[in-house]
Amino acid sequence: MPHIGTPSGGRGRAGRTNTKGPGTMKIPGKPSLSTKNWGAMNVAKARKAALAAAGLALMGSAAALHASAPLPPDEEGEPITLTAPKANWVYVDRGFTVPGTVIYDSDTGKMLGLVEGSWLSDLAIDPNGKAYYVAETMWTKGFRGTRQDMITVYDANSLFLKTEIAMPGRILIGSRKHNFVLNDEGKTAYVYNLDPASSVNVVDLAKGKFVKKIELPGCASLMPIHGVGFSALCSDGSLATVTASAAKPVITRSTPFFSATNDPIFDNFGYDQAKKQAVFLTYTGQVYTAQLGATPTISEPFTIQAAAGVTPADTKPLDVHWYPGGQQSMALHLASGHAFVLMHMGEYWTHKEAGTEVWELDVAAKKVVKRIPLEEPADHVAVTQEANPKLIVSGDSGDLYILDAETGEEKHKLEKSGGGTIRTAEAK
Amino acid sequence: MKTFNPDAMGEKLLRRFAGGTSRRGILSRLGLALVAAPAFPLLPVSRASAAKPDRSPEAKTTFARNAQSTDDTKCTYWRYCAIDGSLCSCCGGTLNKCPPGSEHSPVSWVGTCINPDDGRAYLIAYRDCCGKAYCMKCNCDGTDRETQLYVPQLNNDVIWCFGTNSMEYHCSTAVLVGTA
Repeated sequence: MPHIGTPSGGRGRAGRTNTKGPGTMKIPGKPSLSTKNWGAMNVAKARKAALAAAGLALMGSAAALHASAPLPPDEEGEPITLTAPKANWVYVDRGFTVPGTVIYDSDTGKMLGLVEGSWLSDLAIDPNGKAYYVAETMWTKGFRGTRQDMITVYDANSLFLKTEIAMPGRILIGSRKHNFVLNDEGKTAYVYNLDPASSVNVVDLAKGKFVKKIELPGCASLMPIHGVGFSALCSDGSLATVTASAAKPVITRSTPFFSATNDPIFDNFGYDQAKKQAVFLTYTGQVYTAQLGATPTISEPFTIQAAAGVTPADTKPLDVHWYPGGQQSMALHLASGHAFVLMHMGEYWTHKEAGTEVWELDVAAKKVVKRIPLEEPADHVAVTQEANPKLIVSGDSGDLYILDAETGEEKHKLEKSGGGTIRTAEAK
Repeated sequence: MKTFNPDAMGEKLLRRFAGGTSRRGILSRLGLALVAAPAFPLLPVSRASAAKPDRSPEAKTTFARNAQSTDDTKCTYWRYCAIDGSLCSCCGGTLNKCPPGSEHSPVSWVGTCINPDDGRAYLIAYRDCCGKAYCMKCNCDGTDRETQLYVPQLNNDVIWCFGTNSMEYHCSTAVLVGTA
């Protein structure tokens, strides 16, 4: 069963946002579109209130209170809408106990909206900014009845339902970034399925149709490759590449390069889809980079510990080292090629332990350029794709922290707002 | 760190499974899942280590060194070395039986845990109980030899309610299959 981010995650608590201070005061002159809408409404209300107050002052007696005109009823307004996704927005899955993905503005710390989703659903963001896609599973009678698997499409502006695309099954796990991915500029979706044989659903999002199912024995965690299909990690320690668009998909496997049982690669790895470059991290801290394509090339590894000037870790019991860990242990900032990794001190097989520090790794230079201590250990980390990125981390308490990636300074702390996978929008 | 032999695990589980279910659909998909088994590391290293396992404290994980055999409602109970979720023994069930009204999944993920009393390693099948809401008591997350999604039978995040009437996760049991 999935990792439980917020064991006590009570119903309805996750949406509350208690920022450290008023967000608008912290970042003056940078209102988001949604705060502009609110601003306009508030100005109108304030004007009315001011008029009423002025009227009261003129009357000047208690009896006059009743004589004044009552407040007019609120007018029916247009519903709040959003812009296309922005680079400073973050998408926080609420975890195992509370479904749905909340959108936050990382500048203000304010909640912008909720993308609906069923238990253990997965979100994908349309790279064209028009839609949010949710791969999800439900049954005709709650958890009973006929099972239905689908991609549900929501309008990115209104967050209203646009359509549903039926498909045959998907894995129930949650907490994974690479089970539902988009390819071909958002025209194709790949959905991983485990029943308990493993396969991939190919869905044409442009036509709104399920296309085919590709059996993918022994492999999982999908990296879409434009013009090719996708790659996946496999239990024999290889990387499989699947020509998904071909009439008869062909699966080729690289030479095995890692041990899937003794030093596995975290399946929440980093991937730059535009550059087709993956950054893989193993339990002991080995870092591989892979240039994907019809014939992928995989680099020789280096260790994140050596890159930080500390002793590399191993798989021996009783040996205490710095290890990477958590449920979502790595985030990749695409423009800089820097990876942000949750690290903790411990023994081997503590790969789910929350990190006490975030290490910023310049992957190309093989150098840890910064170590950021965390106020609370975190098992999820994400990074915004802004020029001056922010780190989004959450841990056992379920509190979500927004940090300046440069200084480590806490910008916002949102109580009971974390739990599941954290995604960020790519800059447009 | 001593490795283990997932191939032997698969065989043991399959024998047990073959004797205990008649669901054709799930069987065919499970058969397909096992097609992936040759991709498992049948490496010389795992065979060599299987010959004479080292059970000294120096060879044990943090979990195994601190494991106990008296209280199966605690995360430190030895069989829970790779469990994830609510312990059924806290939810009206037992170590290996489901709470009333929930259904035992015929398939599962597995772990290899060391019994502190006899020093032997045992194969444990973490069979989920399904068909009721999440129990949310005694939540544990043992991670000994727990791996990632591309080795699903060793991954404890997957909802393992396959071949049951409902896929709603309630709690997890730790069924002893045999010596590892």
